Amino acid sequence: MRSGYYKETIARHVDLTDALSQRVWIAIALAALALAPLYFDYYGLSLITLMAITAVGAMGLNVLTGWTGLISLGQTAFMVLGAYSYAISTESWGWPPLAGLALAGIVPALASVVVGIPSLRLTGLYLAITTMASAFIVNHLVLEFDGLTNGSSGIFVNRPTILGFAFDTDQKFYYLCIGVALLTVLACLNLRRSRIGRALVAIRDNDNAARVMGIDLRSYKIYAFMTSSFIVGISGALYGIFLSFVTVDGFPFLLAIEALAILIVGGIGSIAGAILGAIFLVGLPEVTSMIFSLLGDGAQGLLSTSAHEIKGLLYGLVIILFLRLQPHGLMGLWQDARRVWTLWPLRY
Amino acid sequence: MSYLVNLLASGLAVGAVYGLIAMSFAIIYKSTGLLNFAQGEMAMITAYVAWSISTSVDGNPFIVAAGSILFAIVFALAVERIAIRPMMNEPILSQIMVTIGLSVIFRSLVILVWDGLPHGMGIPAGDALVTLGDVRVRVAQIGVILFLFAAIVAMWAFFRYSRFGVAMRAVASDDGTAQLMGVNSGKVQMAAWGAAAVLSGVAGVLFAIGAELSPSLYALGLKAFPATILGGLDAIIGSAVGGLVVGITENLVGGYLSSGLKEVAGFVIIILILMIRPYGLFGEKRIERL
Repeated sequence: MRSGYYKETIARHVDLTDALSQRVWIAIALAALALAPLYFDYYGLSLITLMAITAVGAMGLNVLTGWTGLISLGQTAFMVLGAYSYAISTESWGWPPLAGLALAGIVPALASVVVGIPSLRLTGLYLAITTMASAFIVNHLVLEFDGLTNGSSGIFVNRPTILGFAFDTDQKFYYLCIGVALLTVLACLNLRRSRIGRALVAIRDNDNAARVMGIDLRSYKIYAFMTSSFIVGISGALYGIFLSFVTVDGFPFLLAIEALAILIVGGIGSIAGAILGAIFLVGLPEVTSMIFSLLGDGAQGLLSTSAHEIKGLLYGLVIILFLRLQPHGLMGLWQDARRVWTLWPLRY
Repeated sequence: MSYLVNLLASGLAVGAVYGLIAMSFAIIYKSTGLLNFAQGEMAMITAYVAWSISTSVDGNPFIVAAGSILFAIVFALAVERIAIRPMMNEPILSQIMVTIGLSVIFRSLVILVWDGLPHGMGIPAGDALVTLGDVRVRVAQIGVILFLFAAIVAMWAFFRYSRFGVAMRAVASDDGTAQLMGVNSGKVQMAAWGAAAVLSGVAGVLFAIGAELSPSLYALGLKAFPATILGGLDAIIGSAVGGLVVGITENLVGGYLSSGLKEVAGFVIIILILMIRPYGLFGEKRIERL
């Protein structure tokens, strides 16, 4: 809500940054990310790494659900495919990790075409159900092809060495994840500003109108599916490296719900929202355990025995409360706060 | 031959459970346009409450039945009032996500309130084995099939003849006009949730008696999706038939192909049906007007 910034051309309108203050803030944020390993211990750093990986996945889902308006409950399937593509290609076939990461994007993107084509005629509820069904089918296929995937016992994954640089410690792996997350942010920002991004948003807002204006719904929906699954697959591969172990159990159905919760909490359709939501939802169980530890031993015991359930409970509550009270998510809160800040003491 | 008959019988029994839950999906969808992803979880909670009742009254089947039906109705009405009704005018993603949020909460609550271990229901009357020709089935399994047929007849008669049933059909076909004609659509929605909760709750309890009570019971809800998609999301009786088809298919696949494939057979059916007839076998074809 800064005043005095007039945009006279489309080029100015789609600029990534439009003011010095914005560039300064971005520089400060990047410096903070670069210096974080000096200030955080092992635990804090692994939490930030997890937030970065989650943010990558959330941005991937955002392309599909946030921009194109296609609800998917099956993005875990593509995480699983990405993680397994990376694990099999690097550990079993001895591919270089960079090629493995590329494969972790390409395989889910191709698989998403298979899921996407039957989904072209479907919207809303039906699409949610189809994608959920495909998630279960993929998990089953992974278990069935145990010659390739090692079945339910899973595959060990080592930390990668990319272009001669070994990401073997937690600090170095942190930089890898942050780097991938920044690349994803840049890719998503650029995609959103392009012809394709505008077409996707047009499809979300009114698919018939978009079609009349010459947007081929079928190919653009497939683009959305492929892009989303590519990004989600990469996040799956990183998550596999983070866990240093890839199994089907590492990617439960709760993850798909977590991903949608992130979008809702952050503010659907916005990249910054996806990142904020990822930080919020990954941090939420930690904050809760801190509160529980203040409550005493009994509460802490409950937390340690049923961590998974309490996580589920929190996700559910967060989803419902945000939808009820703040449907535009944290980004909506931020916009409101900005408006109040600039306009105070006036209301509008 | 007797292997096939056994597979068919157990398929019919489990298919009746899917059919009942699929009917609840369809009832709620038809009268409110909402798909309740938490239906399986609500059935599971009803089964757990029934278990709590049964341990305190030594497995008297009548008290358990009355208590669990009463609980199912009260619970569903509370959920509808607190969580669902304020969301009715929101976009479809918000509505779906609220029911998904509820489902995650219920799943966690079951483990936190009761525990994560499998239990027997402790109702000897339902546990008893009956031999019919070649097949040995439990009373509860026969009960669930009979209940399904009773529910089909009751639903058909209700929507065909009763004043309230006609009102529900009116709300389903055009909400606004029905309200102008004096139908209270809030009441219709409450009735739909109550009826759905009874059907799925009874299905959950009977399934728990026939098999076992465990926190993975919510998967019945997931398995009922194929049934309701097969029958048509807005076809109540079609969904019941879909349930039987899915149950039998699953058991035949499990018996003759592989047990792993049995788990996903229903989901394969979903994708096939949505590719060929997205509105289901008995559903109304939706024609969109620009």
